[in-house]
Amino acid sequence: MSGLEETSNDLLKVKRDQELDADADEELEDDFLVDSTRYLFYRERKEWADLEPVPQDDGPNPVVKIAYSEKFSDVFDYFRALLKTDERSERALALTAEAIELNAANYTVWHYRRVLLQSLSKDLREEMRYITDIIEEQPKNYQVWHHRRMVVEWLNDPSKELDFIADILSQDAKNYHAWQHRQWVIQEYKLWDNELEFVETLLEEDVRNNSAWNQRHFVISQTTGFSDPVVVEREIQYCLNQIKKAPHNESAWNYLKGMLQDRGLSTQPGLLERVQELKETHCSPYLLAFLFDCYEDALENSTEEEQKGTLEMALEICQLLAEEKDTIRREYWRFLGRSLKKKYGNFVEPTADAQEPPASVPGHQESS
Amino acid sequence: MAEKESQLDEFEQIYFLRDRHVRFFQRTLQVLPERYASLETTRLTIIFFALSGLDVLDALDVIDRNTMIDWIYSLQVIPTEDESNLSRCGFRGSSHIGIPYSKKGPDVFHPYDSGHVAMTYTGLCSLLILGDDLSRVNKKTCLAGLRALQLEDGSFYAVPEGSENDIRFIYCAASICYILDDWSGMDIQKAIDYIRGSLSYDNGFGQGAGRESHGGWTYCAIASLCLMDRLDEALSQRELNRIRRWCIMRQQSGFHGRPNKPVDTCYSFWVGATLELLDVFQYTNFDKNRSFILSTQDQLVGGFAKWPDSHPDPLHAYLGLCGLSLIGEADLRKVHPALNITQRAFEHLQQLQQTWRDSSNGGCNGQH
Repeated sequence: MSGLEETSNDLLKVKRDQELDADADEELEDDFLVDSTRYLFYRERKEWADLEPVPQDDGPNPVVKIAYSEKFSDVFDYFRALLKTDERSERALALTAEAIELNAANYTVWHYRRVLLQSLSKDLREEMRYITDIIEEQPKNYQVWHHRRMVVEWLNDPSKELDFIADILSQDAKNYHAWQHRQWVIQEYKLWDNELEFVETLLEEDVRNNSAWNQRHFVISQTTGFSDPVVVEREIQYCLNQIKKAPHNESAWNYLKGMLQDRGLSTQPGLLERVQELKETHCSPYLLAFLFDCYEDALENSTEEEQKGTLEMALEICQLLAEEKDTIRREYWRFLGRSLKKKYGNFVEPTADAQEPPASVPGHQESS
Repeated sequence: MAEKESQLDEFEQIYFLRDRHVRFFQRTLQVLPERYASLETTRLTIIFFALSGLDVLDALDVIDRNTMIDWIYSLQVIPTEDESNLSRCGFRGSSHIGIPYSKKGPDVFHPYDSGHVAMTYTGLCSLLILGDDLSRVNKKTCLAGLRALQLEDGSFYAVPEGSENDIRFIYCAASICYILDDWSGMDIQKAIDYIRGSLSYDNGFGQGAGRESHGGWTYCAIASLCLMDRLDEALSQRELNRIRRWCIMRQQSGFHGRPNKPVDTCYSFWVGATLELLDVFQYTNFDKNRSFILSTQDQLVGGFAKWPDSHPDPLHAYLGLCGLSLIGEADLRKVHPALNITQRAFEHLQQLQQTWRDSSNGGCNGQH
């Protein structure tokens, strides 16, 4: 009997408290009795009663309004309240984690979290574990990677980075954020030693991974550089080997050309011959474009006598590309052929296809 | 012959569904479900995609210009009485910080309120598209906020409290200066240095030095240089030809953003517009480009997706339209390739700028 009475008294007490609390949700007392583990909105939590929630205000005619659930609005109404007074507290830090879970792209939440981490002198290794989990869930978000970089900088400890990034890349080997973070870590903390090996592993898995080729160039240019002829020859050999395995690979050809284009493509001893050989068995639009570029380079550096033969070969390549090997770029290869002829072909008889079609005429492409 | 006929059939069968796209953008401007929460801080860019999309479709009559203009202006950060927050001025992406809508006069200092460079850019563009005269834009504070974002290396942060910094925000800054006709907002030479430093060995541009070249960042680089009117000063003819080659090699059917990656509708604009700025877009294959873009069209809800059989979103819907506009699709307005607004909106800007110059010449100071 007394138990029941006590319960009744408790009920009355709760009821009175609710009546005094102007913001009380009328349904609360029923739910409170039924399920004390129900999610409580922040506006219902006693520990937050001192704070006035700040709603989002889009005025009378909101545009691109996102229809948030009650839970979402409630969390962010309290986030906005914390921001307004710039509160520095554990409860604020805890709330940022909830806000992040709802919208990890909100850069203000991340910034405020960083302010709190420093203000409260939080354990940054704990934060590293936290941000690791978040990035694994959302690896293409700018804010999470920026946050990680900040924490690494504060700790001045990159020791987990290369393995972590490798793990992210194992899920998407071309994730631009991951590669960018990797380059930053390597450059900032001078972690070059094993990177070439890492790149080669990735290229073995997928020789067409353009990000890995880019990283190869990044590592070599920042370590040995490309001036040493031994390095250059090694890299040429590497490229040609990869091309033999997978001829239709723009990345390998871009790397080869990129490495040599400023020192004269046509002057690299023996290269032109090796590429011409490959043309017979491992042809591709990229190989032909490379040959064209070699011939163009040769034209720039040869006598008028030598030019005639080279020009003919270059124009043949243009025609082959335009008509057969890279027809999607037909107009472009024809344009290059015309330009080359204009520049070097004073002695060549003008032919019918030397005339330039009208430029920028709408619909002139319909027949292709 | 038979092959060519079936290609023509395919070409004819894909209809451009104008009315669906108009309704897609109309719905975007109204309410989005909670799963779009990650777009909260960038809502102004979504408005831009929808408004500019409707402009390209010549369908701006479906919206209420004035209420939309008011909403955009509500996102401008107002300078405080003592002007202590100038470095934080510009436009916000949304009301997510909780600043009251109707606040017009100088406000008290809010510790976390600041503009975002991409929102200032898209905010100004949106106002232009709506026919606004920018008279309520506080040019002085926008430019002050912009200057505060540039780093020593020439790149920009997105927000004054710090964020990642890269070439995207140089593009936003250049656009802002161009629109406001005032380059005091940035150090042009430093920006050019950063852009040049982002040129990759393979002749595309990465997000920064050493990073993988990418269609989006290449657009940012070239469009910025064009807006600054420094294209030929910053890049040699040889470099420009190499960049043309990198860009034109991105066409596979539609365009991709990086070698050996799948094609994606948005690159029909990013790469297409870059090629247009470099005077060689005419040499691309319009038919294959068009076919791909239309294959990503959503026949039911309108808009375009990045890939066929995927969900459409405002960004791809807008850039798909711009891609079609570049190839001269019927009934689509022409797009200014560097500023990414219609020629119509651009002409409105030119008229405005003429008024500004006339009034400053006629004024007491006569200073520029």
